[in-house]
Amino acid sequence: MMIFVLQLSVLLLMIVVFNSFVANIESDKGISITPSLNGFASMDVQDQSGLISKYINPEIISVNNVTSYNTSVLRTKNGLTTGFLYVPGNADSLIKTGDTVNMLVYVDAADPKMSVVTDEANNTAKTIAQSYSSSLTMSNNNQNQTANFTQETTGESLPLQIIKKVMLAILLFLPLLLFGNIIIDSIVGEKERKTGEILVAMPLSHSEIIIGKGLAVALTISLQVLIWLVVLLIFGFKIFNPLAVFIFVFLTSIPIIGITSVVSAYSKNYKEAGIGLSLVYLVVVGFLIIPVLVYISRKSFMANISPMTIVMRLFSGDFIPLPDYLLCLGFIAMVSLISYWIAIKMFARDDITFGPRPGIFRILFEFLTLKFIRQ
Amino acid sequence: MKEATNKLKALTVKEGNDILRNRIYLLVVFVQVFILLGAFGLALASSVASDPALLDKYGATSVLKVGVPETVKGTPLDTALIDQKLNIIYYNNVTDAQNALGTGLVAVVKVDPSDPLNISVASDNSNIFYPIVSTKISAAVNQYNLEEKLRSSGLNSTQIQQILAPVNFQVIFLNLDKQSKLALNSPYFVEIMYGFIVPFILLLPFFLASNIVTDSVVGERERKTFEVLLMTPVSSSQVMLGKIIPILSFSMIQSMVWILLLDLLRVPIYNTVPILLVLFFVGLAFIGIGTLLSMFVDSTKEANSAITIVLVFATFVLFMPLFIKTSYFTAILNFIPTVLIVKMASTPNIGLEMVVYSLPTVLISILILMLTIRYFRHERAIRL
Repeated sequence: MMIFVLQLSVLLLMIVVFNSFVANIESDKGISITPSLNGFASMDVQDQSGLISKYINPEIISVNNVTSYNTSVLRTKNGLTTGFLYVPGNADSLIKTGDTVNMLVYVDAADPKMSVVTDEANNTAKTIAQSYSSSLTMSNNNQNQTANFTQETTGESLPLQIIKKVMLAILLFLPLLLFGNIIIDSIVGEKERKTGEILVAMPLSHSEIIIGKGLAVALTISLQVLIWLVVLLIFGFKIFNPLAVFIFVFLTSIPIIGITSVVSAYSKNYKEAGIGLSLVYLVVVGFLIIPVLVYISRKSFMANISPMTIVMRLFSGDFIPLPDYLLCLGFIAMVSLISYWIAIKMFARDDITFGPRPGIFRILFEFLTLKFIRQ
Repeated sequence: MKEATNKLKALTVKEGNDILRNRIYLLVVFVQVFILLGAFGLALASSVASDPALLDKYGATSVLKVGVPETVKGTPLDTALIDQKLNIIYYNNVTDAQNALGTGLVAVVKVDPSDPLNISVASDNSNIFYPIVSTKISAAVNQYNLEEKLRSSGLNSTQIQQILAPVNFQVIFLNLDKQSKLALNSPYFVEIMYGFIVPFILLLPFFLASNIVTDSVVGERERKTFEVLLMTPVSSSQVMLGKIIPILSFSMIQSMVWILLLDLLRVPIYNTVPILLVLFFVGLAFIGIGTLLSMFVDSTKEANSAITIVLVFATFVLFMPLFIKTSYFTAILNFIPTVLIVKMASTPNIGLEMVVYSLPTVLISILILMLTIRYFRHERAIRL
């Protein structure tokens, strides 16, 4: 019960952080996820006309206005500043009389930040050129000749989709991975407490024991997913087809419990099960998330193999054709059957459950030579 | 004196062996390698994908598919679009092109048949390359616009040249002999690598360290071996040092290996010694907090939840400053260890002011350590 409440509070915390994060990046013009260190790079600027320095973005580059050309070149050479921008003193009059202004940028090639400085100087030069050309052509020309250019976009931008949809999908699937400990507790715990022998001696088949334990956990998970879903809805997340979303998340828990049971059936103690589970869950999470990312970028059919893709499409309100559902459901059924079967087989073998336990390669070998199946 | 060092040595060796024999710690070290490589790969890929110049350089422009009406073929607009290195696919039917948007095409350029100057672009915002395609099409249309206007204005060629490039821009490289060997010379890559990933990777081992120290102190209490340890003729500070030295060196060695690995990946880290000094004091603070915490809790489970909360808080303090855009915090930001690491790692020659900036980190960590030792002496970590 304690864990339950703790997990819910973690979820609430995540929702708050997540909401503020989305609000933060959306409020900016455009979407930027780069760090924005003040004064990451530094640049000396000598520009008496003031023509160019006012266009430099002070967000990343700290600008030192200088007057001595030689000192600044030396400073750049000695690595005290990343770059030095030199604009001729008469730039203002040059541009007015129609001459080209020659800007010089000295950069310290030993400094990895030199590309940041050159990029900024380049952008500044472009901005000036653009504003200058447009002002000049404006005065020279009648405006009827200008091409009328409009841009329209379809679809949501990719970074925003990843942040909004993928994060929500991960939030929905989180409870499935938080319950691994309960399964370990109920299978490895019996071994550690030596109550496993008594359990096996009871008039229950091995498959009944494993499936019974799995069922109990599955029900707990379904309850948690339900609460989770309701909380997310209350917090104003847009979730279409909540019932279908719930069913798919719940169905996904079945193979995950199966896989966890395999790890627990093989492990000797909590510690081993913990390490094994972290490794296995890493693979499971990768398997759930990577197809989602693939689907977002190229809408491939095979990406529907991950239930997370289906759930994401469900809660965004997409229309999903039947083959896509079947691919996902078929995969869930296959993994479930195989994992429960292996777990039951392992649990039924005394050498694995009570020792002396055969090594993992030995079992793999038995599996390959079909000995494991016959036993 | 010699005896004291021997005792300390024995304890240090024992604790060090404990760490090295723990499979979970070694697993976490292993996972860090994956985090490092993954972050590096992601930074590299996203820099190439978001930088038009780099994309052109690596010849990946075939993915920038843009639908253009057949009628435009051969016009100045067509030339301007081709100049931007877009993969142009000509279409006859607007609806077909519109339908292919999102599956085959990133953008569709539409030109009004009755008015060739009425150009509109529909683009698929959800495509990875949308920002680049959008920039390139805008640039092409601007270019086309400017050329059209100039052609009709009747200016002479020098005037046109001046309008096209009022500012000439020349880069002069100094210290070319000492050029930094970067994997990718792109501003985005440099910003994300040095501005976030380097301090993140270098601090990861210390997050692990605070976990190890609680494990070691609380574990000892849970196994009831702490009393035995305290009964041995070893002083409190020796016990503390015996626990701190191996854990701190374990983390420092990891950080050093990550610096070497980053160098191999061609992300050179400058000022390694000052960075390691900063890391040393940050590590000391982390371990000190871990020890303090483990004296207040009763079980490993409790210690784990407590340390998780503290680490979340530490992450906030250490990494949020890297993403803050307001300027009125600048004065404080300079003193944050991660900001120090960013500046040291990316600057070949650092000024002496860095010493001043690192003073608070040093002071705070020494304070935490003193507090820990004092509290440890006072309670001797046994609460009955």
